[in-house]
Amino acid sequence: MNTPQGNQLFDGKPVVEFRSEHDRRSFLRNALLVGVGATYVAAAAGDQRSFLRSSAASAVGTRKGPASGDLDILNYALTLEYLESGFYDRGIAAGLLSGRELALVTPIRDHERAHVQAVTDTITGLGGKPVAKPKLTFPKGTFTDKGKFLATASTFEELGVKAYHGQVPLIESGDLLAAAASIAGVESRHAAILADLTGGDPFPGPIEANLPMKAVLKAAMPFIKS
Amino acid sequence: MTIKRSDFVKGRTAVVPATVAVGALNNKFAWAQAADFEDDVDVLNYALTLEYLEAEFYRQGNSAGLLSGKERQYLDKVQIDEESHVATIRSTIMKLGGSPVAAPGVDFGDAFESRSKYLTTSHTFENTGVSAYLGAAGFITDKAILQAAAGIFGVEARHAAIVGSLLGLEPEGGVYMGATETPLTSAEVLDAVSPFLTGPGAMQDDAATTR
Repeated sequence: MNTPQGNQLFDGKPVVEFRSEHDRRSFLRNALLVGVGATYVAAAAGDQRSFLRSSAASAVGTRKGPASGDLDILNYALTLEYLESGFYDRGIAAGLLSGRELALVTPIRDHERAHVQAVTDTITGLGGKPVAKPKLTFPKGTFTDKGKFLATASTFEELGVKAYHGQVPLIESGDLLAAAASIAGVESRHAAILADLTGGDPFPGPIEANLPMKAVLKAAMPFIKS
Repeated sequence: MTIKRSDFVKGRTAVVPATVAVGALNNKFAWAQAADFEDDVDVLNYALTLEYLEAEFYRQGNSAGLLSGKERQYLDKVQIDEESHVATIRSTIMKLGGSPVAAPGVDFGDAFESRSKYLTTSHTFENTGVSAYLGAAGFITDKAILQAAAGIFGVEARHAAIVGSLLGLEPEGGVYMGATETPLTSAEVLDAVSPFLTGPGAMQDDAATTR
């Protein structure tokens, strides 16, 4: 199992503070429900195993839950989108970037804002209750150094891509799946561009790796105030 | 729904939840038309034809000596990814008991006359691939195959963004294609790639009908 890069995000400082105990509990409870039994299966570079073999382990043992599982997944996605959106809001406002870098990262901020809105609307449309915008407290230094900001963004996007792909086999509704996939593809573009800007590898493998919710939360948990 | 390992090993497809009834969707994320594909093997053969096309495109393009430095390194990796997609999809089709379609005849015209033409054609291919996967994903009934197809889709999106960036295109509309990706139907995809297809084995003859 790969160690999620996200462990280093924000120096392990808590960032997310839910607005209510209900939101926090709902997030964590659902995470545990959905995450149990799932196994992280990364597609390594050059891996030519068939879909069937390479993906079976990650799909086995997944939740036998009510249809409300999709709402849980959406609130999980919404929390991560809030985290991303808040991160880029602050990062762009800090004025660290200029020229081509600013031009490439500003649309990422706009996309994350749009994702927050889209996921919120979807939850509401399904009769669910979107989690409120969590309070975000980023540690000192997150937005003072361009290199650190971009490196954090890169780690963040790679985690987001894995998070979305980890949920694909769990989403029950076809149109939700389409919506989630259409967002996930954009996160992949972000991840590639940030890797390029930071001297990383924009193409880490032929198939996007995925992480179950539990592992994503383990990476993100330090930023969630409880 | 729960998918058992034995379902994969024996190549049986799992039952589709009623909510995946693709014809019923009418929002902006609507999948391609319900009549496009008969089963998972159909979808995979459609994807395979696109991957053949891409892999051969990069094989020829990277042999043309148009790129250097980081661009060359990136495009070499893209070629490796596409070749891996071909191998993975072929293997999956066979495990399902299907027959992989043959590689189509291809003609890329003047795409390799210059770096700019090569990368511009690549950009078109990758963005078409992204939309093709999104448009076809709703027809996949096996959740493990769906996850892998989504994983390939994400990598095509990475390729598209980086090639757009190498070309120095506008970030929005060149590197990114909006806050959400847009699906294309198989008919739209065929229109986009048919200029590059020639002779027997071409997509029109096989991809959407072979089982």
